[in-house]
Amino acid sequence: MERLMKRLPLLMLLAAVILTAAQRDPYRNDCVRCHRKLPVTLDKFFFNYLLKYSSEREVKAALYSFLRHPTKKKALASEELIRQYGLMPPSRLSDTDLRRAIDTYWETYKVFGKIK
Amino acid sequence: MSASNATATSTSQSERRTLLRFLGLYAFLALLILILGSTIYYKLQKDLMLQTKRLELEEYSKELIDGLKWLHIYFDRYRTYPRNPLYRSAIYDSDKVRIFSTLKHPEGVELNKVIYTTDGVIHYIHVLDSYYLGAKYVVVEIDDDGKWFLRTWKNIIVYGGAMLAIFLLAGLILVRLFLAPMRNAIRLLDRFIKDTTHELNTPVNAILTNIEMIDTGSLDDRIAKKIKRIEIGARTISNIYQDLTYLVLHHQIASQNREIDLSRLVQERVDYFRILAESKRVEIETDIQPGVKLFIDEGKAARLVDNILSNAIKYNRRGGQIFVRLRPGELSVQDTGIGMDEAAIREVFKRYKRFDTSVGGFGIGLNIVAMIAKEYHLHIDIRSKKERGSEVIVRWNV
Repeated sequence: MERLMKRLPLLMLLAAVILTAAQRDPYRNDCVRCHRKLPVTLDKFFFNYLLKYSSEREVKAALYSFLRHPTKKKALASEELIRQYGLMPPSRLSDTDLRRAIDTYWETYKVFGKIK
Repeated sequence: MSASNATATSTSQSERRTLLRFLGLYAFLALLILILGSTIYYKLQKDLMLQTKRLELEEYSKELIDGLKWLHIYFDRYRTYPRNPLYRSAIYDSDKVRIFSTLKHPEGVELNKVIYTTDGVIHYIHVLDSYYLGAKYVVVEIDDDGKWFLRTWKNIIVYGGAMLAIFLLAGLILVRLFLAPMRNAIRLLDRFIKDTTHELNTPVNAILTNIEMIDTGSLDDRIAKKIKRIEIGARTISNIYQDLTYLVLHHQIASQNREIDLSRLVQERVDYFRILAESKRVEIETDIQPGVKLFIDEGKAARLVDNILSNAIKYNRRGGQIFVRLRPGELSVQDTGIGMDEAAIREVFKRYKRFDTSVGGFGIGLNIVAMIAKEYHLHIDIRSKKERGSEVIVRWNV
């Protein structure tokens, strides 16, 4: 018990680090959490972006532009979906977090290296 | 300048040279046209082959795009790229980054072209409107069997060769047609010279023989002077006559080669020309070693010496000098005349070449010298300085 007490600060620090890291994953905390409520999965949106913008650079640029200033014109979701759920609000993530979230999104669904 | 290097011009030689030059130029131009035509033909054949293959490749690309579309929709379940043993393919995104490839040569694909050949394969590039799997460019590759290439080259060689032969034949006919008037003119001139030469012989001989029979010592000075002038004129005509006879008939007269006393001959010719030299107040000094022999036709040796001496007088200044020196293996005639520059020395043996048209002659003298020198392997050196005089040296092996 005494030994456990001695290690408690260390364990608390470890838990804090893990918790902070989990909190700082903006893709999972912000994007995935919110999109779970929608009937269309995130990968379908990704393939819509791929279909329209093709390259990593252009997909990421289009995503960034939409997430910062979402408009109906920029949206790739169906009109039905927008009418039912409305347009998402502009992202309040910091620039670094937003870019990190987009990078994670790209890495999660990209087709490079996955085609057999 | 060496006589052996001199251009001993004759009609046929000159004609052959002109013919060769013209044919060379003509063949070069014909070849240039053929190369240009072959290049255009090759390019057309290649384009034709690519257009034919394009239809096939377009079908393949449509099939591939359908496969990509299907894969794009069901990518969460299927990941296998659409393949066909008839072709290979690759997909590239809008930044030209390769997404996936089954190409034989995936490096250096030219996405800005539509269809092209490279390293034994044909590439067809289709740009997509909807980027399935992010693919903007679809590349379809098939093997180029090269049959069109072999067929094209065979046609180029066969038809190109035939056309070149026709071109050359036409060139040959053309050059003969163009040369015909010139050949006729030369033939006419030759006949005229031959006839004139023949007609000159009798009157010139009659004048000279009769003058030699006149005892000038018994005549008064004024008449003797006139007789001397007539003799100079007759000897000049005689010299021209001898040259023309040599030019016109030398190939018809057999040479009577024998060892002649060149010292005697040179002395005789100097004495013969002394009267002409005196008319120009040119003094001839001789240093002739007796007993110098040369194996030659005497008539031709006389033509050689006469022409050298005649030129030395003709192109000398009034009151000038001529030095004639004869040693075994060498005859030198030096004058104090107008001389020549380097360019003129190079041209000196050409027929009808005259450097001073104010003096008489046809410009055939040194051409005859060159012809005789060539026949008897004599080496001729000409040293000359403008306004200082010239020296003609004839050398032979003793």
